[in-house]
Amino acid sequence: MYVYLYDNFLNHKKYAAILKSIEIRLTDYGIAGKILHLNNYIDVKPIIDDEIKRGAKTVVIVGNDRTIGHVLSRGATCDCVFGFLPIGQDENSMAEVLGIPIGVDSSDILARRRRQKLDAGWFNNRYFISQLHVLPAKVRVIYDDKFQVTTPFKTEVVVCNFQPFYWKKSKKDKEIRVVHPQDGKLEAFLRPLTKSGWWSYKYEEPSIFPFEEMEIIGDSPFVVEADGKTTKEVRIKIKLARNKIDMIVGKNRKF
Amino acid sequence: MIFQRSASKNIVEETVVDTTDEKKPVSEVNDNVDTVVGPSVNVEGDFSSEGNIIVKGTVTGSLHTSKSVTVETGAKIFANVRAGSAHISGEVRGNMKIKDFLELSPSARIVGDIEAKTVTMEAGALLLGKVSMPGLETNDGRTAGRVGGRVKKSDEAATVTL
Repeated sequence: MYVYLYDNFLNHKKYAAILKSIEIRLTDYGIAGKILHLNNYIDVKPIIDDEIKRGAKTVVIVGNDRTIGHVLSRGATCDCVFGFLPIGQDENSMAEVLGIPIGVDSSDILARRRRQKLDAGWFNNRYFISQLHVLPAKVRVIYDDKFQVTTPFKTEVVVCNFQPFYWKKSKKDKEIRVVHPQDGKLEAFLRPLTKSGWWSYKYEEPSIFPFEEMEIIGDSPFVVEADGKTTKEVRIKIKLARNKIDMIVGKNRKF
Repeated sequence: MIFQRSASKNIVEETVVDTTDEKKPVSEVNDNVDTVVGPSVNVEGDFSSEGNIIVKGTVTGSLHTSKSVTVETGAKIFANVRAGSAHISGEVRGNMKIKDFLELSPSARIVGDIEAKTVTMEAGALLLGKVSMPGLETNDGRTAGRVGGRVKKSDEAATVTL
């Protein structure tokens, strides 16, 4: 049985047509199911657990990167297969990584059920699957309890699981550079912010450290964004949770 | 809202098949990501990696990888280095144990003992320490502790400070 978790933003009128088309396609495939509407304050884990008790085998996330982050941050441990139907062109970079086309065609990928176990990142009691971003702050980073990395500048830290790391040297830099993460490890990108002002900023080339466990310690609270959710922390511990998520992916996935 | 199961069940049974995905060959998986230590980054401690390491900043403690280490111009290493191969353009203060080949470019500055299978040293590189290479033995059975015959000199004369 399939359960569909619709994000809150899909209530907007402009998504009505696309949702209708998807629902028709799913019905054609015979994989239609119960629809639940999420909002920002719902913890999805008990909801998914309830549905699993009622016989749900596949939970399909309908929305964008934020939705997938919101659902899997808590629901990654649930014993079910996850699917994803990306809607809308904004904030849908995860769809490309997973090889799922945006819109109605994503139903075909769902019906095909090409499954793969995905690694997840774990930090401070929740999971992230795309990336974790620490905004520039005075931090030191300890890797695998073995070595410590420091810089004399404020440093931006980006931990990538599946989402590639896109970066440019400065505000005027037109070339956007990409580093694709490899599977089986998390990649941490550290970029010291060498110059910042109202009108410009300049980052140093990023340092790259593949790791399985790392700790970021700040002199003062720093801002952490993980899968679209922002918190303030003083100390975070990040780990790799191998093969945590059973997910339906497309043939053209990036890993 | 609950969907109604459609009459096209036969089509679905053909389409909905649980397939354990065929894994992509290892060569296709992106393994280009090296460990990179940026120019203003300081690493302290037991720094080890399974892949290639590129150092542009400072490393203190020890440095270990089974693959290659590249120390770029301006980089400083105050550590014992163990690696599969190494290309040094910066400064290293510590002993180096290289399994395969060691390449010292003109801007290399080494203070410490070197043990490597093959050493290539370009004119201008400075070295203070003992160089030992497997293959030659002294009369008492010890491996030779000087620059041996395997050092490939470039067209210009290599500068070796011992």
